[in-house]
Amino acid sequence: MTTAITVEGLVKDYGSFRALDGIDLAVERGEVFGFIGPNGAGKSTTIRILLDLLRPTAGDIRVLGEDPATGGPALRARLGYLPGELILSGTATGRQLLTHHAAVRGGRGRDRIAPLAERFLLDLDRPVRALSKGNKQKIGVVQALMHRPDLALLDEPTSGLDPLLQQEFLALVREERDAGTTVFLSSHVLSEIEGVADRVALIRDGRIVVVDDVAALRAAAGQRLDVTFSGDVPLQALEGVEELQVDGLHARGIWRGDTTRLIATLHGLPIARLELRDRDLEELVLDAYRTEGTA
Amino acid sequence: MTRIRAVTVEIAWQLGRRRRPLMLWAIGLTAVAAIYVPLYPSIGGEQMQALVDSLPAEMTAALGYDRLGSAAGYLTATVFGLLGPALMLVFGIGLGARTVAGEEEAGELELAAAAPVRRDDLLAGRVIALHTQIAVLAVVTFAASALLSASVGLDVSVGGIAAASLGLNLLVIAFATITLAAGAVSGRRGVALAVGAATAVAAFVADAVAGMLDDGAVIEALSPFSWYLASDPVVNGVPLTAYARLGVVTLIAWAVAHDRFRRRDLGV
Ligand SMILES: Nc1ncnc2c1ncn2[C@@H]1O[C@H](COP(=O)(O)OP(=O)(O)OP(=O)(O)O)[C@@H](O)[C@H]1O
Ligand SMILES: [Mg+2]
Repeated sequence: MTTAITVEGLVKDYGSFRALDGIDLAVERGEVFGFIGPNGAGKSTTIRILLDLLRPTAGDIRVLGEDPATGGPALRARLGYLPGELILSGTATGRQLLTHHAAVRGGRGRDRIAPLAERFLLDLDRPVRALSKGNKQKIGVVQALMHRPDLALLDEPTSGLDPLLQQEFLALVREERDAGTTVFLSSHVLSEIEGVADRVALIRDGRIVVVDDVAALRAAAGQRLDVTFSGDVPLQALEGVEELQVDGLHARGIWRGDTTRLIATLHGLPIARLELRDRDLEELVLDAYRTEGTA
Repeated sequence: MTRIRAVTVEIAWQLGRRRRPLMLWAIGLTAVAAIYVPLYPSIGGEQMQALVDSLPAEMTAALGYDRLGSAAGYLTATVFGLLGPALMLVFGIGLGARTVAGEEEAGELELAAAAPVRRDDLLAGRVIALHTQIAVLAVVTFAASALLSASVGLDVSVGGIAAASLGLNLLVIAFATITLAAGAVSGRRGVALAVGAATAVAAFVADAVAGMLDDGAVIEALSPFSWYLASDPVVNGVPLTAYARLGVVTLIAWAVAHDRFRRRDLGV
């Protein structure tokens, strides 16, 4: 079976501005792939090229084994898309809009409109232009997934959804993945999709900085150590703690190794307070940016 | 899904969304006919001719008022020569600009273009929906003018009104398609509006100037507005060649729209 997405050396210029500067990506069938980067990194540009809304300046692209530029309607019938900036206007109701999108797909997905709307507490009888941002986003999500596409391209799907609905959305993404849909989703905030993504790519300034599975990134990210001693700070015991900062009786830093070993090292020392927590992956993203910046 | 079905679905969707505004425009055009047509028996004929004769000849010619002496001329100068085309061009050019470029700039085209539909079919569906709406307004103009003329006893033929309405339809479709094409090529609503409005105004002015000149035939040969009305269709019926030219302009603009829209980046 072909990969869901293969991109090699993708370059996209807007006039003289290079938005994508040689992107390589390989997304396997059946995975949930996160695409993380700050504003202006090139996430939407990449996704819109995969949908043939934009034409690449250079590079080789395969979506479900086909070139988007020649795949045409047959290829797009197998895709679902949630735009980064979803604009819905007009007097049509949610039901009319979604029914139309199903009709464009030959009726596929029509039977899922009602159950998905119910699940997301979406009122289908209001005109879409009168809906709140979050409710519009729900329409967008339903529209992108209702026909059970082979590959869903979701550009910042969680934006505008409150935390409860974000969880509901992520649960839906997992279900769709289990039902066979490959999901490619972007976000600036890694923590938003961390719970659902199998692998992530970090993009910045039109280049891929890191691609890895979330667990490995998590391990590489390490843990933030925050410890207050009741006696002198035993500097020797803190060997191996990175970015160590000592301030009176208080020491903090990053621990990347085995947690058991850290506890063994600290055993028996006069400790008043100890905190050890996973670093936000955002911090890791920043690490990656810094490394890239200095490289 | 066959391509015909894809185009049909798009047409139906576009028309469904625009039912209400279209109805309002239809009412507006009916009102124009309802205001002007019944006025003629009370002020028309010799009285009107006397008024026209008292005005400078250049001015009356430019406005088409030199025709006011007859019922057909009156209808041509008012409903078909001025307010009808003005209203319908505002409608057609506005909608032509919104249909592709306006929605593209607003970001509304995004989902439609990402759907399993060829860009050609998406565009064709929208062009046909645009033409259909203009045709509906032309039919309304025809029906209102014909019914009102008959009811107040104007001496004009239904066939003549039909011919002028057909010309109005073709004229507005031509400029609306030029507007849509400018938007489909540029992706900018402002550009589309500017091109559509500028060409329409130029055509109208050229026709008016041609009317003032002793030998305006050269200009009339070039102005779509002259193609539409210079031969007095209310009296003389359909001028085949001139109306065919309006159709050709539409087809050329339509083809240009496809050629570029098919290939370019959307929403940039
Ligand atoms: N139409 C355009 N013309 C010129 N530059 C553009 C255009 N669209 C995007 N860019 C530039 O290309 C770069 C990538 O934009 P893109 O929208 O892909 O970023 P993004 O990662 O989706 O950002 P965000 O998180 O803000 O949505 C940005 O620097 C942006 O300014
Ligand atoms: Mg974006």
